[in-house]
Amino acid sequence: MILLELLLMLLVAYGVGFLYYGLYRNITARFQRRFGPPLWQSFFDSIKFFLKEESTSHGWMFYLGPIIMMSGAITTLFFIPFFKETTNFSGLSSYGNLFVVLYLLVLGPLGNALGVGTGGNPFGAMGVTRGLSRLFALELPFYIAVIAIMSLSGSADISEIAAHQSTMYALAYPLLFIGALFSFIGMMGQSPFDVVGAPVEVYSGPASEFSGKFLALLMSQSAIYTFAKLVLMVNLFLGGAQGFLELLLKTFVLFLFVISFGSLYGRFKTPQSIDFLLKVPTTIAVIGLILATWS
Amino acid sequence: MEEGFLLEQKTLEGDLNSETSHQSSVDFLMNWFRKRSIFVLAYGTGCGAIEMPPTFTSRYDAERLGIRGAATPRQADVIIVSGYCSYKTLRRIIRTYEQMSNPKYVLALGSCTVNGGMYWDSYNTIKKLEDYLPVDMYVNGCMPRPESILEGFIELQKEIGAGKASSWQKYEENHEFYRKNQEAVLGEKVEPSYEADWYLYEGGL
Amino acid sequence: MMINLSNYALGHIVLALEMSHLANFFAVLILLSMGTLLFLVKNYALPKSFYALSALLSTSLFLIVYAADYLLFFIGWEVMSITTYFLLSFSVSQKTLHKYIIFAMSSALALFIAILMIYSTQQSFLYSDARESFELMGEFQGVFFLVLILFAIFVKLGVIGFHYWLVDAYEEAHDIFTAFLSAVLSKMGVYALIILVVKVTQPMLALAIIGVMTSIIATFKAIQEDSVKRVLAYSSIAQLGYIVTVLGVADGMSGALYHSLIHTAVKLLLFINIAGVIYMTGRDKFSQLGGLIYKMPQSFVLLLIGIIVLAGMPPLGGFSSKFLIYSALLDTKYLLLLSGVMFSSASAFLYIYKLIYGVYLGHPSHKKLESAKEVSLSFLLPQYLLAFILITLGTFPALIVPYINEILLESSLTTLSFTHAGELISAFAQFNGLIVMSAFGTIFVLVVIFFVSTRSKAKEAKNRFDIAYCGEEPDESTHLHYGYSMGKELARVGILRAIIKNSSSHFYEYLGKQTLSFAELFRKIYSGKLSVNFNIAILFLLLLLWGSLR
Repeated sequence: MILLELLLMLLVAYGVGFLYYGLYRNITARFQRRFGPPLWQSFFDSIKFFLKEESTSHGWMFYLGPIIMMSGAITTLFFIPFFKETTNFSGLSSYGNLFVVLYLLVLGPLGNALGVGTGGNPFGAMGVTRGLSRLFALELPFYIAVIAIMSLSGSADISEIAAHQSTMYALAYPLLFIGALFSFIGMMGQSPFDVVGAPVEVYSGPASEFSGKFLALLMSQSAIYTFAKLVLMVNLFLGGAQGFLELLLKTFVLFLFVISFGSLYGRFKTPQSIDFLLKVPTTIAVIGLILATWS
Repeated sequence: MEEGFLLEQKTLEGDLNSETSHQSSVDFLMNWFRKRSIFVLAYGTGCGAIEMPPTFTSRYDAERLGIRGAATPRQADVIIVSGYCSYKTLRRIIRTYEQMSNPKYVLALGSCTVNGGMYWDSYNTIKKLEDYLPVDMYVNGCMPRPESILEGFIELQKEIGAGKASSWQKYEENHEFYRKNQEAVLGEKVEPSYEADWYLYEGGL
Repeated sequence: MMINLSNYALGHIVLALEMSHLANFFAVLILLSMGTLLFLVKNYALPKSFYALSALLSTSLFLIVYAADYLLFFIGWEVMSITTYFLLSFSVSQKTLHKYIIFAMSSALALFIAILMIYSTQQSFLYSDARESFELMGEFQGVFFLVLILFAIFVKLGVIGFHYWLVDAYEEAHDIFTAFLSAVLSKMGVYALIILVVKVTQPMLALAIIGVMTSIIATFKAIQEDSVKRVLAYSSIAQLGYIVTVLGVADGMSGALYHSLIHTAVKLLLFINIAGVIYMTGRDKFSQLGGLIYKMPQSFVLLLIGIIVLAGMPPLGGFSSKFLIYSALLDTKYLLLLSGVMFSSASAFLYIYKLIYGVYLGHPSHKKLESAKEVSLSFLLPQYLLAFILITLGTFPALIVPYINEILLESSLTTLSFTHAGELISAFAQFNGLIVMSAFGTIFVLVVIFFVSTRSKAKEAKNRFDIAYCGEEPDESTHLHYGYSMGKELARVGILRAIIKNSSSHFYEYLGKQTLSFAELFRKIYSGKLSVNFNIAILFLLLLLWGSLR
């Protein structure tokens, strides 16, 4: 039974993730006054890469990079409950907690970084360097906000946090939400924090050495991963969801905001983004934390 | 009645789907995915590269046909040789082409790739690209405008869909012929110095 | 069990040895380190005195651990400091040795004064009377006592500001001894902190703040280093920072003990691994290493396990201890401190990746590295043992909880609840390590099966130069080992520059200069001439005479 549920969760995340990617490309196209690709273009791309006749590898650790990334994404997904106040579609979340999920979120990228390092492409290492230099600044406001809401809810269990919100935390504690949102934009790889994979500067960064099915696996995991992150954010700040319709609505609103924001802004250099993240969102989140827990 | 942009899009897509051929359903599906998603290497080899930005950006928007840019040869399906090709560039083109994963296609722009064009007696450009790399599709003109490039892409997509675009197999089969021609202009040591056995390597996971 | 030495007492001083659970816990750490490091010894031609001094050192460590009164503790502490000096002197430069001995002796002096202060209140050296003695002290005296004790311990732990000796000593010490320094001697600081501060006083917020500052600053310092052992030294400081932090809050003992165990095991693993690399290649800088993965695959996998633990990633043991630390901080509502700890933990990914990239991934930075081979079994065996411990503690995080509970009971602290070995339950939350591990493992295997069974086949690249490199073909002369210097650009960020560029060495150099000029002043009077000396001696005698006559 639980296995069936996990499989369904995976399929939903895979489908919705690719649907959102298609919407992302279409909406960005509209921002740029273009027609945009078909809705399922990202899905076609990933299947095409699976159907490539060959791909180049650099030894066994190179294989493990994308594989760890994929496993990390799926494991993360399983530890995030889709709905609050029900055990349906809660996956394995009762065995973990928010700390586990926070760490699982970075497990995949770090595993992939090993694959990138093995590939021996200096541009890949450059991308990873950029990513890791930016990572801690990116995580800080998110951590502060998450710590505050864990303390407010008196629990580190994601479904309990979701259920604890009579008014959603995004409205009750807007400063915390704004701080976390900046981090979230970076976690989704959107401008202005998308310097990691800059195609022309660093030859698309971490992805530069991956071809064929390696790239296909990375694309598929990115769809799953995106959906997992959106669901996590909805659970933590937007009051969770009670049905698929509510979940899709809330995740889509969040996603729409993130990609609109991303389409409007240029790209920060790595030191600039660290500087910005450590100054503005962190300050906002700290003030939010003090206001929220002052008693 | 549809008109304007939507009509154009419909015409283009209808054109794309018009090709029917006798393939097994697995091959049909495989080629369908391949034709719907084409990653073009962002590598401007000659003067024609100037026509590529408008093709891919808002004015002509190649992405509506599933065609988009890729940063590295590992991710790319198509390499565009955009016009004249000096020996220096040829070395890089060959290197890049050999790093792309099969199946891969070559799109050649302009007259220069056909017979040298206005560089027909130049001392340091190649005249016939076909002697050095297998070409899937030529787009004529000097330079071809973005409309022509899109047209070329659609023709290429049709061939891929029909399973006819197989220049990469030709390159493997006639590897010695291409290598001899390449060495003739680039010297003994064509970098990278591939051995055919590596190139036809089979195995791996 | 208490062995009373009162029969041999001098006057009414009672000396005692005691076998408490806490002492046993730290004794296990010592034994674990000695047991694993002994495997390595045969690879090196060590002088005989090294073994003798090591034996003396371990005796002193057991004396520290099993002492039940401050006097024996102090004797053990002093012997430990001195033998460490001699053990360092085999390979360490004079300057570093001087730094070490000055710090160690001032720390011992401070400790001695503090112990005398405790003694003078109740005329007892026993631990059991310490809490009462501390409460009897006046407020000023109490603060002074704490400052002295904390100074002594911070020097041993290498808390930022007091780490001046530590990083150099770690870098230059013999590879085996560096591992011992990091794994065991720093833990003696933790033990002293528990015995002398945590058990005597109330939880101190200041301690927690110092711990967080230490971990953040040390992490950013580690990111900047090029030498592998220096990175590990700073990482050691940062990890001890977590322990100091959690010891500063109520109910933090479980996290501190758990993390001590994890840190001992992981630092042993990492230092043994790096010792193997240095033994094989003779190089210890990231800029001179690289690309060893397919030459030393077993070492690579073991280091990988080590860094996953160091990063605190589930599903390995590092997460279990981090989880207890986070829960303790969350439970006591030190939310900003928790943010600081998590920030430091996230920043650590950078040097952790550098650790594995600089040594094993990327390209070899020199031709010599191409001929490197896997290290011998004497290096690998202890690493396998430690990796096994760390994986087990990740899968069954609550395996040692019953034991930790006994220690907590002994100190009359609230215990952790315990259901089964797979589920770690803290005051705030719980997680099931067994499920996390098996979920990740199963998914991993399924993804591998799926990946291998897809239609397209991956072909091996021809050689390491077959990379997408903008159409060029790199060769031996191309600089491809990029990334060993990752994190250097952080100095360009205004906020971080303050942390990275400032150093406590300025302060200590200033202090040294002032001491020298003071000595110069003294030298003016005590000039070394016989006539002047004679006059001074006469004057001094007269002074004494006058004093005694009054």
